[in-house]
Amino acid sequence: MSIRKRADREYSAHLQGTLDLLILRTVALRPEHGQGIARAIQDQSDNVLIVDHGSLYPALQRLEAKGFLSAEWGTSENNRKARYYTLTRKGRQELIREESEWRRIATAIARILGPAPSKV
Amino acid sequence: MSKLVNLFRWRRDRLERDLDRELRYHVERRIEDLIKDGLSAPEARRQANLEFGGVPQVREAVRDTWISQWLDALMRDVHYAIRNLSKSWGFALGAGAVLSLAIGTSVAIFSVVSTVLLQPLPYPDAGRIVSIETFWTNTGLSSQDVSGADFLDWQAQNTVFEKMAVSYAGKDSPTIVGDRAVFANPGYVSADFFAVFGQTASAGRLLTEKDIPVGGAMPTTAVVAYYWALTHFGGAEAAIGKTITVYGTPLQIVGVTAPEFRYPGTTDIWAPWLTSNRNRGLHDYQAVGKLKLGVPLTRAHAEMRTIGDNLARQYAENRLKTVALVPLQERLTGSVRVTLWVLMSAVGVVWLIACANIANLLLARAAGRTREIALRAALGAGRGRVIRQLLAESSVLAGAAGLAGLLLASIIVGGVVALSPADLPRIGDVRIDMTALLFALALSLMSTVVFGLVPALHASRLDLSDALKQGGSKATVSRVSTRLRSALVVTEVALSVILLATAGLLVRSFQALQHEDLGFTKDRVLVAYTEYVVREDNLVADLQIRSNFFTDVLDRLRAVPGVNAAAGVAYLGMGREPRAAQDYFIEGRPEGQPGERPQAEFHAITADYFKTLEIPILAGRDFARNDTRESQPVAIINETLARIAFPGESPVGQRIRTGTSSRAPWMEIVGLVGDARWQDPSRPAPPVIFAASTQGIGNSPSILARTSLDEASLASTLRRILNDADPTVPVKFETMEEMFDFTLRYPRFRTQVIGLFAGMATVLSAVGIFSVLAFLVGQRTRELAVRRALGARAADVIRLIVGQGLRLVAIGLVLGLAGAFTVARLLSGLLYEISPWDAVTYLGTIAVLGTAALLATLLPALRAATISPTVVLRQE
Repeated sequence: MSIRKRADREYSAHLQGTLDLLILRTVALRPEHGQGIARAIQDQSDNVLIVDHGSLYPALQRLEAKGFLSAEWGTSENNRKARYYTLTRKGRQELIREESEWRRIATAIARILGPAPSKV
Repeated sequence: MSKLVNLFRWRRDRLERDLDRELRYHVERRIEDLIKDGLSAPEARRQANLEFGGVPQVREAVRDTWISQWLDALMRDVHYAIRNLSKSWGFALGAGAVLSLAIGTSVAIFSVVSTVLLQPLPYPDAGRIVSIETFWTNTGLSSQDVSGADFLDWQAQNTVFEKMAVSYAGKDSPTIVGDRAVFANPGYVSADFFAVFGQTASAGRLLTEKDIPVGGAMPTTAVVAYYWALTHFGGAEAAIGKTITVYGTPLQIVGVTAPEFRYPGTTDIWAPWLTSNRNRGLHDYQAVGKLKLGVPLTRAHAEMRTIGDNLARQYAENRLKTVALVPLQERLTGSVRVTLWVLMSAVGVVWLIACANIANLLLARAAGRTREIALRAALGAGRGRVIRQLLAESSVLAGAAGLAGLLLASIIVGGVVALSPADLPRIGDVRIDMTALLFALALSLMSTVVFGLVPALHASRLDLSDALKQGGSKATVSRVSTRLRSALVVTEVALSVILLATAGLLVRSFQALQHEDLGFTKDRVLVAYTEYVVREDNLVADLQIRSNFFTDVLDRLRAVPGVNAAAGVAYLGMGREPRAAQDYFIEGRPEGQPGERPQAEFHAITADYFKTLEIPILAGRDFARNDTRESQPVAIINETLARIAFPGESPVGQRIRTGTSSRAPWMEIVGLVGDARWQDPSRPAPPVIFAASTQGIGNSPSILARTSLDEASLASTLRRILNDADPTVPVKFETMEEMFDFTLRYPRFRTQVIGLFAGMATVLSAVGIFSVLAFLVGQRTRELAVRRALGARAADVIRLIVGQGLRLVAIGLVLGLAGAFTVARLLSGLLYEISPWDAVTYLGTIAVLGTAALLATLLPALRAATISPTVVLRQE
């Protein structure tokens, strides 16, 4: 994933696992198509994280190949054919593991950084 | 294969289509959202595309993940396969050995076949070079021998050949090189001979029109073979300008051929010769030609046929003949084609057996792994995934076996080349080449599909719950799997029977040939080829000198201790020098019409010839010292001729004459001798007239000596005697045994190689039977233990298992014998005095295979018998 507003290459490589986690989290709620996933990530992060489509689709393929997602063609809310991704049982386990790992690291980093400076 | 490729392509197309649709949907959906947010349609489209960052780039990125996924999966499969195989290394080693053996032999034989039969001759545009032959309309056969007059007409009238040439193959001739006398093989050729083959000289120049002698003169120039120049002058350049004397004619060497050039046959020296147009009935040339570019063989054939048919109407001598074109390659390999295709089929059968064997092993293994596979399937591995995993295992196995096989092949090629007849065309060039390498890879791949897919499909059709319910190793073998494995064993046995029976027939036929009563004793006879040069311009005096020379040499040889008998013979037969039969006449009988007269072979020999070869004299006497040019001409005939020409009367005292010339004197028959199969031990003796070479008849003799000594030491003695008598007479030695062996070289080669393959096939099918039964015993351990516990004796268990094995063997035997009968009928042309229905062979086959099968079933049966019910049942 690269995050447009902080579009550093180092970041995108660094954060590859993050995009996977966000995708898994998004489809955990309900089956979703690619564009829907991108929009959901963007909306829920208050437009802080903007998904690069050049990373999104390869990531979807990768997750599907690993058996975390399954995909099938369905009908979208505007009555068109779209490819819907669903979280598999294996994907759900992966999500739980990744999520707890992420939280652990985030907590650790937060401890080092100390309390956020109060808004000026 | 193309179906498989199509399948991949179809899958790939579908993936691409899906991706396109998905990406298109994404962009359009975004446009709709943006429009909803209040943007104009064009503006929304612009913004969506900008955000998306270009469909082609995204598509490319996705494709990259596909490839890396595929590679990942492959690596995983290979890794897993290697781990699995090394866990059961016994199986891997066994299967690998069987397969590499099969691949090794196939590649070796294919290399031989490919070099000898399939690779083009080493000449530029070799495909356009054809042998131009005489086609005899009465026999329907084509012969390489053509008449010079015919050839000149063909050359003048055709429009299809770029170049044409004739050669006249001389026989081994005494040749003086420096101060040594050797045998060399000269060929007399017309001007365009080398041009037909597109040859250039490796030193000096090749022959041209100017070299051709005219007006009956002898040639003065010659071109020699590269290796001959190397042997006698130490190099190509060194030979140029040297003079050699071939059968009394001095020739100056003007050129040396390229190293790879060798035509016709084993020619050492090419001398220019004017094509004679004198005799249409004399066929002593061989013609070759290079077709013009773009002229198909069929058209050339049709045109030459028309020319030949016209000549047939024009000349009486041509009444029964016309022209045929045969591609030179086909002509050169014609005689060995049968042998090589027989070998190729045999090796194919071995390969099939090996594959059935591997399939069986893998199948047994897959069944043993039923639970593992079922578990993986239950955990979500798709059927495709399981198949792929099993295929990966066989691929790794096949790949490793392919490499080992290639190594083995190079060893086997060495062996086959060593066993093969020396005159097998281009056998010296046989290498494991690129073709063979590709062939090995194709074989590996094919075996992967053959033996990998059967168990894979089978294993993946498992009933999951069924397999899981049954405990691991105790899983009863499904009926389908047992039937499939039994079918494989039956196939193996049947194929082995075919191969064994074929080998048996060939061996029996070969033995019959070897032990054929030849009518003479061939051991302990030394054969010395010599030739005394007689000049045409001094014929009468030279013939007398020659006769004295040989009388003298033979007398000195007979005086050597250990020499029991010695004689001269002008013709050594045994297929080396084909000998045309001649018309003969008997005094007091009508002469008959030309072409309808009886014929006999005509051999000039000295006294003691029959004593040397131990051919019995049935009536009359041998030739004697006082049968000279001045005395009454005498002849001896063999039994066959006596039976044909003098049925019911004594030939001794009758007078006979041969048809060489009407002035030939009547010869009085003084003796009758037993038949001897000189030329071809597989054919009955022809009628023969013997004449005394001391009476000035026949060619220069060679020498035969029967000895109680070692043949090699006698050879050096004889060489010294000859050299003392006349140093210009060359000599070559051979034993009669060697000479006889040479005539059997193709049958022997076939028999040895097929015998080897049949042995391999038997071992392989025994292994197959063993592995299946051993596996079944393993599967039935519990059942057998229960039986024992309920009172079955060890013998009952053995009977049960052996019975099961032998039932399969019996079915295989019946099917195999049916196949063998069919094959034997096809092979009947290769058999000598053995009927394709030879009972001994088939009984032998059944005995050999039956014994092997019995051993293979007995081992697992004995193991089954030793099962201890208490131990097995307590383990449960």
